[in-house]
Formats: sequence, C-alpha cells, structure tokens
Amino acid sequence: MSRKLPSGDWNKDYKPGPFPKTDAERIAAAEKYGLPIEEYEPYPDDGQGCGDYPKLPMISGEAKDPFYPWDNPELKRNFNEPMHAEFDLMREDRYDVSAKLRRPMWFYWLQYLGTMSVCIGIYYLCENVKMFPAVTPRQYPNKTHYTFELKD
Amino acid sequence: MGNDFSNIPRGFNAYFHPEITPGPTEEPTFDPQLGFPKERKERVMIATEEEMRSAKLPLEDRDYCAHLLINFLACRKDNWPWVVKCEHEKHEYLNCRHDDYVIRMKEYERERRLRVKSQKDGAVAA
Repeated sequence: MSRKLPSGDWNKDYKPGPFPKTDAERIAAAEKYGLPIEEYEPYPDDGQGCGDYPKLPMISGEAKDPFYPWDNPELKRNFNEPMHAEFDLMREDRYDVSAKLRRPMWFYWLQYLGTMSVCIGIYYLCENVKMFPAVTPRQYPNKTHYTFELKD
Repeated sequence: MGNDFSNIPRGFNAYFHPEITPGPTEEPTFDPQLGFPKERKERVMIATEEEMRSAKLPLEDRDYCAHLLINFLACRKDNWPWVVKCEHEKHEYLNCRHDDYVIRMKEYERERRLRVKSQKDGAVAA
C-alpha cells in the first residue's frame, strides 16, 4: 500500500476537503481519491458541500459487468475504487440510472392515455343508462297501497 | 327473482324510451283501481308508530313488514346467543319481504304495460 488513503474513524474524518482552487490543490485532491488528474473533476462549488469530492460518471450496479472478477462482487466494486457520491441510490437493489427503455417514452404515454381514455369514455357513455331492477320504490304506510287481491 | 342480465337493457330503455319505461324512483301514475273487476284490498300496517319508535327501527325498515321485524329482533334479544331458535321468526319476516317485493314488481309491470297501452291508444286517436 503505497498510496495514502482517506481513512478515518468518525464522520468528521469522512468529510471531503475544501474545493480545490489552484492546480496544486487539484493534483493533491486527485491523488487523495486515487484518480488520474485527467479524470478528476470536482462537483461545482455551489454550496452543496461536496468540496473536493470527484464527480464520477453515473453508472448503476445493474449496468456493471456481472462476470468481471470484482474484488467485491456483492457491490461490483474493486479495492480502493472511488465510490460515487450517490452510491447508495444506484446500488443494484435501488434505482437503475443507466436503464434503457425497450420502447420510446411516447409509446408508453400513448399506451397509458389510450387505456385510461377508453375506460373513462365507457364510464361517461354509460352514465345515463344505469341498470335497475324492475320494481317500484319501497312502499311505506304514509299513503294508501293496494295488494293484487280483490275484495269479496 | 328474474334474470339480473335483463336489468341492463332496462337502463337503455329508461334513457331512450322514458315514456314507456318507468324509472327506478318513479311512483305509479295510474289509478290503482283501473281495469280491475272489483276493488283491490288495501295493504294493512300492523305495527304502530309508537312500537316502531320504541324498537328503534331504522326509518327504511318501517314498512308493512315492520311488525315481523320487531318480533324477530325481540326474539333474538330474548334468546341471545342461541339466535338459531329464532329461525321461524326470521323466516316469517323474510317471507313478508319477499311478498312485498313481488307486489312492487307487479306494480312496476302494471305501470309499464299501462304506459305502453296509453301510448298505443294515443297513436290510434291521433
């Protein structure tokens, strides 16, 4: 282990350093995260607090090769490989950011809106033709009602 | 009590031919004695308002079968939890409800046929 690793025992030790402003600081930060200087690019300094943490490409676990001999096959990750800042959202059991749809998105919207409009159309067409049993309303003794038997 | 599928075209009939198809909330409009050789018997209400109020019957159950329902509920209360002893009272009450439903079905069919007949008579006169 020749490289100095970012390691620590408490959350303040995991905290990234300040945003690199000079070239020397960039080189030091790239060295710290184990990246070649050409690949190192920090998050923009917009107040999100990512500091000098590298902006890595968004590749979710599902998109990584399952047959590659990973050092850590559960996470599809190699030893000392820098982790994405949103790694916990792109694991294999979470959202697949690199998913490719089978069909274009307008096709799915057309399917959904077509099905819904047919259902709602049937509902409105049949709104005035509801079925009902062939009986008069219930009879209560507030007025005179008659049976179908005749008086003697 | 009839085929439930025959209720479906009735919805269409009530919409497209309301003049010959009474709706589900319409009371009979013709003279109840019209066309009978003798007078029809009147329906008799046996339970009084006082009894129904005392038994706390729901308003929708205060019809011509209310006295049998009061009997049935009283029997249930006396025999709880052996309510199966009230099968006779329950059967009487449900029979009464059945006969009530048959009368309402007959009233509906009578109203419908009289409407068809008056339409035909109007067409002949015109």
